[in-house]
Amino acid sequence: MGTTTAIRTKTYVGERIRRKEDPRLITGTATYVDDIQMPGMHHASIVRSPHAAARIKGIDAKRALETPGVVAVFTGADVKEVGPVPCGASLPGLRVPQHSILARDRVYFVGHPVAVVVATDRYVARDAVDLVEVDYEPLPAVADPERALEPGAPAVHPEWPDNVAFTYHQEGGDVNKAFAGAEVVVKQRITSQRLIPTAMETRGVVADWRAGDKALTLYSSTQIPHLLRTLVAMMLGLAENRLRVVAPEVGGGFGSKLNVYAEEALMGFVAMRIGKPVKWIESRRENFAATIHGRGHVDYFELAANKDGTILGLKLKLIQDLGAYHQLLTPAIPTLSVLMIPGVYRFQNVFCDIVGVFTNCVPTDAYRGAGRPEATHGIERMVDILADELKIDAAEIRRKNFVRPDEFPFATATGLSYDSGNYAAPLDKALEIVDYNRLLEEQQQARKEGRLVGVGISTYGEICAFGPSPATPAGGWESGSVNIDPTGKVTVATGASPHGQGEETTFAQIAADELGIDIDDVVVVHGDTAIVSYGIGTFGSRATAVGGTAVYFALQELKKKIGTFGAMLLDSGDVSYRAGRCICNKTGKSVSLSEIAAASYRAMKLPPNTEPGLVSTCFWEPPNFTFPFGAHIAVTEIDRETGAVSVKRYVAVDDCGKIINPLLVDGQVHGGVVQGLGQALFEQAVYDETGQLVTGELMDYAVPKATMVPWIESSHTETPSPVNPLGVKGVGEAGTIGASPAIVNSVVDALSHLGVQHLDMPLTPERVWRTLQQHGGQA
Amino acid sequence: MKISGAYRLSLPQERAYALLQDPAMLAHCMPGAERLDKVGEDEYQMKLRMSIASISGNFDGRVRVADKNPHQSFRLVVEGTGKIGFVRGDGLLRIAAEDSGSNVTYEGDVQVGGTIAAVGQRLLDVTSKMMIKRFFDKFAEAAASA
Amino acid sequence: MIPQSFDYSAPATLKEALAQVSSGAKPLAGGMSLVPIMKLRLAAPEQLVDLGRIPELNYIRKEGSELRIGAMTTHYQIESSPLVRADCALLGETAGRIGDVQVRNVGTIGGSVAHADPAADYPAALLALGASLKLVSTGGERVLAAAQFFLDTFTTALDPGELIAEVRVPVSSGAGTAYVKLAQPASGFALVGIAARLVRAGNRIGSAAIGVTGVGPKAYRASEVERLLAAGKPTREAALHITGGIDVNSDLHASAEYRRHLASVYAARAIELAWSRTE
Repeated sequence: MGTTTAIRTKTYVGERIRRKEDPRLITGTATYVDDIQMPGMHHASIVRSPHAAARIKGIDAKRALETPGVVAVFTGADVKEVGPVPCGASLPGLRVPQHSILARDRVYFVGHPVAVVVATDRYVARDAVDLVEVDYEPLPAVADPERALEPGAPAVHPEWPDNVAFTYHQEGGDVNKAFAGAEVVVKQRITSQRLIPTAMETRGVVADWRAGDKALTLYSSTQIPHLLRTLVAMMLGLAENRLRVVAPEVGGGFGSKLNVYAEEALMGFVAMRIGKPVKWIESRRENFAATIHGRGHVDYFELAANKDGTILGLKLKLIQDLGAYHQLLTPAIPTLSVLMIPGVYRFQNVFCDIVGVFTNCVPTDAYRGAGRPEATHGIERMVDILADELKIDAAEIRRKNFVRPDEFPFATATGLSYDSGNYAAPLDKALEIVDYNRLLEEQQQARKEGRLVGVGISTYGEICAFGPSPATPAGGWESGSVNIDPTGKVTVATGASPHGQGEETTFAQIAADELGIDIDDVVVVHGDTAIVSYGIGTFGSRATAVGGTAVYFALQELKKKIGTFGAMLLDSGDVSYRAGRCICNKTGKSVSLSEIAAASYRAMKLPPNTEPGLVSTCFWEPPNFTFPFGAHIAVTEIDRETGAVSVKRYVAVDDCGKIINPLLVDGQVHGGVVQGLGQALFEQAVYDETGQLVTGELMDYAVPKATMVPWIESSHTETPSPVNPLGVKGVGEAGTIGASPAIVNSVVDALSHLGVQHLDMPLTPERVWRTLQQHGGQA
Repeated sequence: MKISGAYRLSLPQERAYALLQDPAMLAHCMPGAERLDKVGEDEYQMKLRMSIASISGNFDGRVRVADKNPHQSFRLVVEGTGKIGFVRGDGLLRIAAEDSGSNVTYEGDVQVGGTIAAVGQRLLDVTSKMMIKRFFDKFAEAAASA
Repeated sequence: MIPQSFDYSAPATLKEALAQVSSGAKPLAGGMSLVPIMKLRLAAPEQLVDLGRIPELNYIRKEGSELRIGAMTTHYQIESSPLVRADCALLGETAGRIGDVQVRNVGTIGGSVAHADPAADYPAALLALGASLKLVSTGGERVLAAAQFFLDTFTTALDPGELIAEVRVPVSSGAGTAYVKLAQPASGFALVGIAARLVRAGNRIGSAAIGVTGVGPKAYRASEVERLLAAGKPTREAALHITGGIDVNSDLHASAEYRRHLASVYAARAIELAWSRTE
């Protein structure tokens, strides 16, 4: 039996460990949906509406069907048995349009799927799409949500002429009293424009039907394989245990793959009908037109305060552009904005009304931040507007209104309980990094020289780690399993289905530390309903806080069992487990994890009341959300002649609780900030008044490129969350949430001395230039 | 998209008014028009092959003359649908006598859909102006020799 | 994004390529515009002849007072050529502002010039430089000034069956040049691009050549600005005439009004920068 070896004292948690995923990703050896090849595999291509609204008078697929290689064309009439595309959000009085996987007699947005062509060859399928003749009778369309609310606007769904899908009201405290007693009220209309998530990998599905087994396997680029299995099984009328969903390598989602799409069920339907595997890969144009968009807010804010800057209350009328249908969470997204509208501030009087509006556009749904960037942008802009009105420093007014460290857990006016926080800490750190006072002096100097320099602060708070199941559609827990092989190697299976976040690394760090073993002895598996019993998925910055915690508890259970076996093998009642070995505290003798594992499976002898093997699973239900926070500061300069904005400095101080891997946290912050910067400066999905998506490609929709991104100075404070034993909160969306208000506040600050109170995003050179023209600031 | 402009023709007002509605002239001068068949009073079916740089596409469409106010103005509605998208142009043409010739001013609205709307935004304005200019250039030339 | 089917050939000689082009094949000269258009199915040529494997179309050399650049020379080759830098810095600076690194590594000067996109970068520089183009066909060759080549939006003086074989640029001696541009952030195309070439006469501008792209239906020379500069008008004042007589473009990314303003700002900047580089 083992001799004592050197005890490994190093831990992985907290270290900058390089991602275990990266070698396969950067050497092109990862397997995405489009890399999957199967014998006899057919290819599907989809006929989509070029009209925003039209009646379908007829579909003639004769010429397509005559094309050699084309085996089938299916239309709405063929898929009547398939259930509707599901909406998982329930709100009182919600109007839910029937959402067939292929259009029936009408189309409701450009890109609406009308028919699917199936062929032996991908190119033939695409050619044959052009041969399907669809006879459309175009109808009036409406693409702007405020226009859709006007009397006489075209009805998106004829059965609901007012285009209102739902209204939702939430209030807390006594907002009328707060406003009546306020010394100052500031108001502003603030928009958060429609954005296109633009994951690097577009969507794609391979469906493989094995008639003999009556079993369907669906490979899909998804964030939620298990929920997809449950819902697609229902749509197709399959028993859930006859459907396996695999999310292979997923090249980004940003929420756009937190969904159940018509095409996913459609490919299952096709495979079952033709009895062959079928592949569909979305083109970038389809991705822009038919994958969900994000944001789409028009918000009317009013903020009441005292002259000393104390915020008393907030009113919000939120108009949410829903698009033509509800996708999985469409109507729920703006309710998150309302929940988080108080931000990091103490005020207790809130009055919010949401109007969810149908438009002839592709549905909006969760996009990185999902409702919280809109809320943060709104409150952070309003706080700046108030500061400007009262001539109070932007940092000072924030400090004055922060929830104080001794007030946690803090009950908000919107019914949440903020878990932990020290909001001044990241702000102070960010101010120190930028050398705030000197910066303000430099700004004054720059103004004297006629230059337009702005300093913008955003102190954001977000709600993450979705979440307690009663508050999360489809459940908010997560599963984690740990399986130690007879040779002592460890496999962690998580129901959170990461798609770029790096949990194969962070969960391995957690497992390696708990078991005291080398990180390379741990493999993290995910994204396959056949190897993970069930799970919820990766979204809402939840994977580590909920999924990681499930893994942690599974490990605790396993460590008990390891101890039991170790005690038996060492024949001792007094053992401890350190650095991969079970040690007898009296004799110092020890056995290694692999020896224990071997004994547990060989099972020559078992401890009393103990089963063979080393396997443990935990389904962990979080008691609360987590509430990360942070402070971002952007320094911008405006080209007075052209209106072009350049970001001179960007400082992000984020507090995401305890940090498992600072390298990955920095990566998340960088990516998030870039997406927030994209919204602030460049991106906008534009539908024209007839409902055509005129930013239909990357030629006209500007995502930030590497050369357009400033150096991001990323730093952290660490305030552990009491919600989970790891103390973690989540960081996937923080950058996006913090960035857009920091940049817009900075640009408005650069112009504030000219009387500019607000600018809507994106801050294109022309928009800024026009503002300068109006305010006489043009040189 | 709003369009507007003016073009000077060395034709008398009455003749300009008549020729601008003449199906043979329209067929001859509309860039890419391959044929124009009468399907009703002042209404024609049209086949068009549009070609700008490397971009090309066939369109089936209709041309309609409406709101005729003899010698002074009329409305021209052009609709075309093809695989690369659809176009609908609706414009009011005003013809005024000017010196020995006439001055044609037009203003209207062009709507496009499909691929050309989704990916052609950068070039819509400049190419529609070019097509209109080509129409009038060819028209002036043909009218002169008619 | 799958194009319709097409035949593809990649001849090794210009002669073979011309034979194919004369029988209707569409030349592929880098494909930075053509390939996306084909993938969007906005174009469906039946036959493509790839000029990219023809060594006799890829060179940069100096002949007499001209730089001669083979049509299939990539933007990157031009941007990084010491010869171009020494003898025609404006062309190298312009090449370096085209699209992004990937585009510059594949796109070619002949392809860009023949496509005549109204927002392409080269035409502004070629006009300002007084460049000329050698055009070849099975029937022979001719040399045409750039000013005679760009006829209208996407419309050039190339006859059917004709190819650009070479771009000829006069060697700039003693001139100060600059290319400045505001790129549209999505595509990288110029919202406004100004190429300026100034010759100093003592303490003032002796002569000026200003090429403009992205602003009108095609690239053009701003002759009024050139005249005013040569007449000693202050730069900012002269630059206000940059869009004189031009029907200014308007699109999703910049209205005509803003473009007009941008053009005058960028013209002034180009002139000032070029002036600072005069000897």
